Amino acid sequence: MRSLFLQIVSVTTINLKSLPQRVWLSASTVVAVALVVMVLLSFLAMANGFRRTIEGSGGDDIAVVLRGGSQSEINSAVTHDQVRLIEEGVGIARDAEGKPLVSSELYLTVDGVKRTTGTKANLPLRGIGPQGAALRHDIVMTEGRTFNPGANEIVVGKGIVKEFSGFDLGQAVTFAGAKWTVVGIFSGGGTVFESEIWADAPVVQSLFKRVNVFQTIRARLTSPAALADLKAFAGKDPRTKEFDIKSEAAYFADQASTTSDLIQKLGWPLAIAMAFGALAGALNTMYSSVAARATEIATLRAIGFGGFPAFVGTLIESLTLAAIGGLIGALAEFFVFDGFTASTLGSSFTQVVFSFQLTPGLIAQGVVLALLVGLVGGLFPAIRAARMPIVAGLYG
Amino acid sequence: MNDFVLILKNLFHKKLRAVLMIVSILVAFAIFGALASFEWAFNSREDSAQADRLIVVNKISMSQQLPVSYFNGVAAIDGVGQATHANWFGGYYQDPKNFLVVFAVEPDSYLKLYDSDFVYGPGAREAFVRERAGALVGERMMAKWGWKVGDLIPLSSNIYSKKDGSHAWDVKIVGTFAGRTPQNDSNVMLIQYGYFDETRSFQKNLIGWIALRTASPGITDKVAKAIDATFANSPDETTTDTEKAFTQAFAAQFGNIALMVGLVVGAAFVTILTIVGNTMAMTIRERTREIGVLKTLGFSGARILRMVLAESVLLALIGGMPGLALAALAIFAVRDDLIQFVPTLTMPPVVVAAALALMLALGLLTGLFPALGAMRLKIAAALGRS
Repeated sequence: MRSLFLQIVSVTTINLKSLPQRVWLSASTVVAVALVVMVLLSFLAMANGFRRTIEGSGGDDIAVVLRGGSQSEINSAVTHDQVRLIEEGVGIARDAEGKPLVSSELYLTVDGVKRTTGTKANLPLRGIGPQGAALRHDIVMTEGRTFNPGANEIVVGKGIVKEFSGFDLGQAVTFAGAKWTVVGIFSGGGTVFESEIWADAPVVQSLFKRVNVFQTIRARLTSPAALADLKAFAGKDPRTKEFDIKSEAAYFADQASTTSDLIQKLGWPLAIAMAFGALAGALNTMYSSVAARATEIATLRAIGFGGFPAFVGTLIESLTLAAIGGLIGALAEFFVFDGFTASTLGSSFTQVVFSFQLTPGLIAQGVVLALLVGLVGGLFPAIRAARMPIVAGLYG
Repeated sequence: MNDFVLILKNLFHKKLRAVLMIVSILVAFAIFGALASFEWAFNSREDSAQADRLIVVNKISMSQQLPVSYFNGVAAIDGVGQATHANWFGGYYQDPKNFLVVFAVEPDSYLKLYDSDFVYGPGAREAFVRERAGALVGERMMAKWGWKVGDLIPLSSNIYSKKDGSHAWDVKIVGTFAGRTPQNDSNVMLIQYGYFDETRSFQKNLIGWIALRTASPGITDKVAKAIDATFANSPDETTTDTEKAFTQAFAAQFGNIALMVGLVVGAAFVTILTIVGNTMAMTIRERTREIGVLKTLGFSGARILRMVLAESVLLALIGGMPGLALAALAIFAVRDDLIQFVPTLTMPPVVVAAALALMLALGLLTGLFPALGAMRLKIAAALGRS
């Protein structure tokens, strides 16, 4: 047993030490595997970043009220009277003075110009009530102040400032024929709200001619379980019974699924197809390696080494190349793309700024794929190495 | 034994290695074919957009609406030829996931303006203009849902509701139309603006956008400026762009993701080609002795160069063609599932041509250096080398 182990160790050492003799072929395998891993991780990190940005935006204890069938905020409409009815609803938390913690909001799109391309993009302008900011977690004014009620002032999320031009502090922008001044910039814990522009709801109503109309209502619940009470309450009144009421977390989970599913569905087949390409490269490299060492393997067999050490040595060489490739791919991905900011159209037809997020779990998936390529790519050449006839090898 | 047989024998001299290289090339071209087709489908809408057609939208954002009175205002401006208007209906069929592209349009003028893009079924135009609750449906949408002319469809909207509070409009399919070229998306339904505006519960007398053709292609810039100037300082200012600029801006909203995909896949493509190039060079080096024998037999250097190049080009074609075919199969398999995202998905001739050109380039490039080496090889050196 011990001698078998020693044989394996020495054959493996010979294999690895002879790698520089096949440097170009080995390097092309390493690069191929690294690229496969990078492609896979790019897609997974993109899907993950997008999903986390949107899903992380919603709270369990916040109820979102939408007009039935509207699916997203941009399509919804709620009248002033309906807002009044909901404010009196069961399960809604109240502040110290007994006022309900409710924000009735408008959600419109305005044009912005993307910094990278100079092209127009839809940005969300949200008109919020006095409680609006308090109904979201982690909203912090990083620069300036919040808007004054009744003034043409906006505060913008830091994602907007980063990706779109014209929203720096103090700058004036024109929407709906009126000038608005940027008075503050806020961060929102990496949520979708960082891709929004906020203003006072009544000002938005009058300048965008949406008098007495809102689009959604957000309400803080006394507890996540109180959602059912609020739904039951709304269901009793004919004026509110067709509303869709869900927790903010559930709302955003629905919004995230389509896009991130699509990205993932694109990523895996692509990575697998490429893995087959890399596999062909790996097999080629390993067969060449076995062929180049034919005499050496035969010599070892002639002096008493078994076939099994030759098998293991070749397999380990292949796995080593694949592991190096996988690690290079994961490292390159980490340094180049982790935290890379991108923006795309979300389901509300507005831009969502998000960043690529790698997690240890995703990296593990990439490395497993790389090792699979190495395993399959090394297996058959290793079998050939183990079965090589001694005499033919010595004379080849 | 002619040269071609010799080339084939050489190519499959080591069968396993040849098969592996073919698989690599196959994968590379399958990826190329699929992604180039997607990219083409994303950008083809720009190509189908006509230069003399303008789109007028609200200056705030294209999703804000305009008063219907603007339609007559725009039509009266000097240099405006045919004009029409349309609304985004936000339609879906039965379940919100079954999203439909539905425009509420002014029937007569809309069909006239887009005459150059679509062919209408017999009697379809007349029936659509006549029937208030009629719908004109593109043939891809008909096929996707298995509808027939004469069917009554409950059409739901995620934006609008009817006065009676419901979200479903019953429309009757009165005719179909088809795109004149694959770029013209026929996964579309048209309904009458009059019927839609009369029955919706809010935002009455508003339209989504105005589309128009200028009297001559040379004056589009001038007309666009004149339109925007007419409505400057009014409550609803406008932005007028060519259809092409408008669709380009829309496509750009999906943004750097498309670019990312292109970069990553391009890099991968290059790597697979490197593997093949490397192996090809190695193969020729191993055959040094054989080449020496051929030269001794009287094969000229030029003939050897041709044979090595033919071998590498053949390898590229044997791998590339099935790869491209695989991509075409995949594209046609997912075509109907992705109709909502990329309605004009197909494998166009230009992608096929580009792939063939790439195969040739790959074959010549990977074969060139080994072939040159083989051509210049001295017999004595070749036979002397062990």
